[in-house]
Amino acid sequence: MRTIQAPIALACAYLLAAPFSSFAGTAGAGNAVEASLQQATARAILAALSPVVFDAPDDQAPQNSPEQAKPPAAKPPSLPDLGFPPEQTQPNPQEQARLDKRSHMLKVHQRLGLITTAPLIATVLSGSFAGGKSTSSTTRDLHAALGSSTAILYFTTAYFSIFAPKVPGTPTRGSIRLHKALALIHGPGMILTPVLGAMAFQQKSQGEKVHGIASAHGAVGVVTAAAYGLAILSVSVRL
Amino acid sequence: MEAKALAAFLLFAPLGFGQADTQWVLEKSTLTYHVSHPLHQFDGVSHAARGKGVCHEGQCEFLIGVPVKSFDSGDSNRDLHMIQAVRGAQNPMVVVRSRFSESAPVTGNIHVDLEVQFAGQTAQFRQIAFQQTADGKQARITGTIPATLTDFKIDPPSLLTVPIRNEIPIRVEMTWHLQ
Repeated sequence: MRTIQAPIALACAYLLAAPFSSFAGTAGAGNAVEASLQQATARAILAALSPVVFDAPDDQAPQNSPEQAKPPAAKPPSLPDLGFPPEQTQPNPQEQARLDKRSHMLKVHQRLGLITTAPLIATVLSGSFAGGKSTSSTTRDLHAALGSSTAILYFTTAYFSIFAPKVPGTPTRGSIRLHKALALIHGPGMILTPVLGAMAFQQKSQGEKVHGIASAHGAVGVVTAAAYGLAILSVSVRL
Repeated sequence: MEAKALAAFLLFAPLGFGQADTQWVLEKSTLTYHVSHPLHQFDGVSHAARGKGVCHEGQCEFLIGVPVKSFDSGDSNRDLHMIQAVRGAQNPMVVVRSRFSESAPVTGNIHVDLEVQFAGQTAQFRQIAFQQTADGKQARITGTIPATLTDFKIDPPSLLTVPIRNEIPIRVEMTWHLQ
């Protein structure tokens, strides 16, 4: 019965003391003496009721000094406190070097891609004067030269994209997917168009009418150029 | 014996609580950077920030960390290029520190100084205005940090040889929980 009464009495003491002790705590360092007095009183009451709890030797007995009344100084939070995994917070120079190389190669890819646009447009335009009923070998030669320049620049551009370092664990999302999908059209188109163009050139040079698969040269070229233009737009503007 | 221990706790708890430091933990957050380019604009969003705040003797110190890689602009190629441009593999975390008086208003406008570590640089932002609303043990803070590329010595990335604008304002929406 006594063991039950004592905690009830203490709980009552707690309820009475709580508002004052909380107030003392929020009042700041100026009330440190008052706070330490309250602590001392509380310890004395508890010690009287429970020698087991405060069974400390005399040399460790509370001194009631202001220093002991103070809580340990709070440490400002630091990055490790936030619990990020170490691999997320540690610098990774190798990865930075890979990203630098990747960005450099893709910048070159972008610049060369833009440069390639000029001979590509010129090739398409000159193509309308090189085929059909035209018999001028000059326009055909010009078209062939522009087409060859376009192809060389195109494959150089592609090299910087294909061989740019990949970043593992990065799924492809966003407009770059359309950019890559369009490469599946203009890539084969850029191989097929010169081959068909060479066949058409040969047939025309022999005084023949362009026939067979070579007659698809113009259409394949236009589709290739359109896919190429769309590929540039896909990463330049929000489609 | 257990009853005595409970009694001891009940007696000392208010003393301890009265003098204890208050601690805040970042519960959820949305950080959004905005990039402008003559051809288009886009936002990069992260919900991966973690934060902690400690108030002691009237002074509060808050720390927020967010991995650079966690920002998502909806385009993986652009995100990788962003990480490269801000040297995000070498400096993988954005760390924001703030120190202010505990007597700051619970609700309404607050102005705080921020120290932001990003891209291997540290920039100070003075008296940045945030809106704070308190709800029980939760505090919601919203505002915008007027960051620029030059603050962190970042070379402006370019598209079609045209660089992006220098301003990259960062919209902050955070919910803090008092522990």
